[in-house]
Amino acid sequence: MTKWIRWSGLIGFTVLIALLAIFWMFAAAPIIKFSIEKFGSDAVGAKIDVAEVELGFNPLVLSISGVEVTDKSAPMSNLVSFDSAVADLSLFPLLLGKSIIQDMSLEGVEFGSIRKTSGALENNDEETSEKVVEPSAVKQASVSSVETEKAQDKPLSSTSEAIPSADEILAREPLVTVTRGEQFKLSLAEHKKELNESIALVPNASAMKGYQNDLDVVLAGKLKSVEDFKARKKALDKIKAQFKIDQKAIKRAQAAIKSAKKDLGSQWPLLKKAPGEDYKNIKGKYTLDANGTSNLTALLFGDDAGSYAKTGLKYYEKLSPLLASDEEAELIKEQQEKRLTGSFVHFPTDRPLPDFWVKNLSFSAKLPLGEVAVVVKDITHQQDVINKATTLKADGRNMNNLKALTLNGVLDHRNGQGMDTFDLNIQNWHLQALNLGLAGLELNQSNLNVQADVTFKGSDMNAHGQGQFSQAEFSSKDRTVLAKEMVAALTNIDKFVVSGKAQGEFSSPNLSIQSDLDNKLSKAFNKRLQQKQNELEKQLKQKLADKLFSYSGDYEDQLRELNATEGGLGDTSKAMGKMAKAEVSSYEDQLKADAKAKADKKKDKLKDKLENKFKKLF
Amino acid sequence: MLGMLANLFKVLNSDASPGQVALGFAFALFIGLTPFLSLHNFIILFLVFIIRVNLSTFFLGCALFSLVAYGIDPLSISLGQLLLNLPELQDFWIGLYQSDFWRASKFNHTLLLGSLTISSILFIPLFLTLTLLINVYRDRFMKWFETLKISKLIKASKFYKLYEKLGA
Repeated sequence: MTKWIRWSGLIGFTVLIALLAIFWMFAAAPIIKFSIEKFGSDAVGAKIDVAEVELGFNPLVLSISGVEVTDKSAPMSNLVSFDSAVADLSLFPLLLGKSIIQDMSLEGVEFGSIRKTSGALENNDEETSEKVVEPSAVKQASVSSVETEKAQDKPLSSTSEAIPSADEILAREPLVTVTRGEQFKLSLAEHKKELNESIALVPNASAMKGYQNDLDVVLAGKLKSVEDFKARKKALDKIKAQFKIDQKAIKRAQAAIKSAKKDLGSQWPLLKKAPGEDYKNIKGKYTLDANGTSNLTALLFGDDAGSYAKTGLKYYEKLSPLLASDEEAELIKEQQEKRLTGSFVHFPTDRPLPDFWVKNLSFSAKLPLGEVAVVVKDITHQQDVINKATTLKADGRNMNNLKALTLNGVLDHRNGQGMDTFDLNIQNWHLQALNLGLAGLELNQSNLNVQADVTFKGSDMNAHGQGQFSQAEFSSKDRTVLAKEMVAALTNIDKFVVSGKAQGEFSSPNLSIQSDLDNKLSKAFNKRLQQKQNELEKQLKQKLADKLFSYSGDYEDQLRELNATEGGLGDTSKAMGKMAKAEVSSYEDQLKADAKAKADKKKDKLKDKLENKFKKLF
Repeated sequence: MLGMLANLFKVLNSDASPGQVALGFAFALFIGLTPFLSLHNFIILFLVFIIRVNLSTFFLGCALFSLVAYGIDPLSISLGQLLLNLPELQDFWIGLYQSDFWRASKFNHTLLLGSLTISSILFIPLFLTLTLLINVYRDRFMKWFETLKISKLIKASKFYKLYEKLGA
């Protein structure tokens, strides 16, 4: 029997296996480190740094320390980081290339910690270079970006527009008064230019006097000779020619005035109506009525609620794609494999083996509110293989100003679309010095209980939340009447409930916040708001009228001036025609009179002669 | 190719045990026909190393059966598929599927199961047939074969000389 055993072969085989084992012992950890950094970075789109990876063989344990996952949108801060992670690996699945981790625990988990160096990937440098800022500036930048987001967030911003000043409204609104006023101003300037040019050509009073003098000179005395007549006629023709030019100028000026009156006259009623139209639009948009108080809760709490929601959605948006199963790609891959190298046939089992599966992940995260212990079960991108949804449970421990915090989540991507649900419960959150951002109002203290739930289905979200405030105390540093009256009104309000909902696309959901505080405040503020509204309406009307005047000037005076000019031009035209006509006709009359006088004289002489002759006869 | 032929003649004409030569060739069935990176191949390699089989015929067989595998892979896949879907065997497969060890053996892979089945079926007949053929060859044909022109040609080749020199 022993002649069939090759001892040298046994030794060779053992040596070979030992060499492979030694190689694996030394190379495995760096290979794993490289894989996490390379493939993790590719998946996240930003750098993942790993300080150290250690592999223990009995039992098979993977220890990873100093992990920093960069926030792609802010490369100088981390999305998440942790000091160490210990994972128990299963050996046989690993031989199949499947990473099944029974238990994984993380220590020193932090969210949003500051990085020492930029975590932008080299090929993403251009994309993110503008976002790379110094650590000290990160907070400021994030605040400003949040503000920008708020500004773009229609539902929230519209609520914050509830009671702006008249000047603010006029500055931000597109006004018809301005549009029509600018057009009117432009037309007025064009007509004025044309009028000035044409009126400059019209003879003024001194010119008319000059014409009269010239005519007097031409027509004074009697014609002495034919030459005298010719000279006077020539001078008269010259004056007549000038009259024609001047009359043309008068006609042009009259036409310009007529055109100006017609054009401006048609624009003026529309311009006059514009402030009214603007006021109507503004009133509708800014809810300048007592019902405006229905927006007050959103005005007071909307920004904070929006900010929390945005942070939550940001993390969900990052994590959600990682859970999606790439079934289609796998199917194609499997079909390709089937043609060449066969395929796997799966059977029902209570020991499913997806490519990657963390059965139990536990960590505690330090948040501003305190420490939160988180347990996540069944993390895999192939939930259909294990037929289990990923579940999350977070419990607050040693919380500051908070009795209890629990967050439960179920991320179910077994079906194509996927459905994720979360519910949040906060008990006795002792709020202190919460700036409400309106009229210097501050919530000095209050106890808050929160119940909220959110469901994500595909890209749609449906969230509901309710906050029950009790033992509320308000104050305001402002010394305005409004601030004082608000504080006075809120003094009597000890308990109130704020509820909110967010529905629609989770990238831009429609948010709304309601509260019984609205009714309570509405009653207290109705009177004051009515006064405020009246003041604002008056201010708006005055300011719109001022705006109108700034475009039109005193249009009525200008119209009167135009009419006067038009009348003056008519008079000048008439006077000039009359003057020319009268003087010419008196000259002819004079000639006729001279001839008639001569004839009459001759006739008289003949008459006398005849009478004398008759007298002599009788 | 010439080297392989020379190798084959060298072994056939040596005084190596026909059983060892045939066993080396038969073990090569598994390595050549089934996907290499499999748990059963690790066991086969272990056996080949510790059992005094002829390594030359083993490696020669691996090369030969790897070429054959290209032709019979579709058959192996079909056979594997048939076996894995056979209703009578479902309980058996489901039972194996519950074990990490058996999952690690990739028994539920159509090509692996089909080719492993073919290799297992052929193993003993091939071993016995080859043993018999080697004995017949040595008894009846070896002397006659050495007188053939092709045999002389091979023996005269540089490869064969080098091979003999190295004492392989």
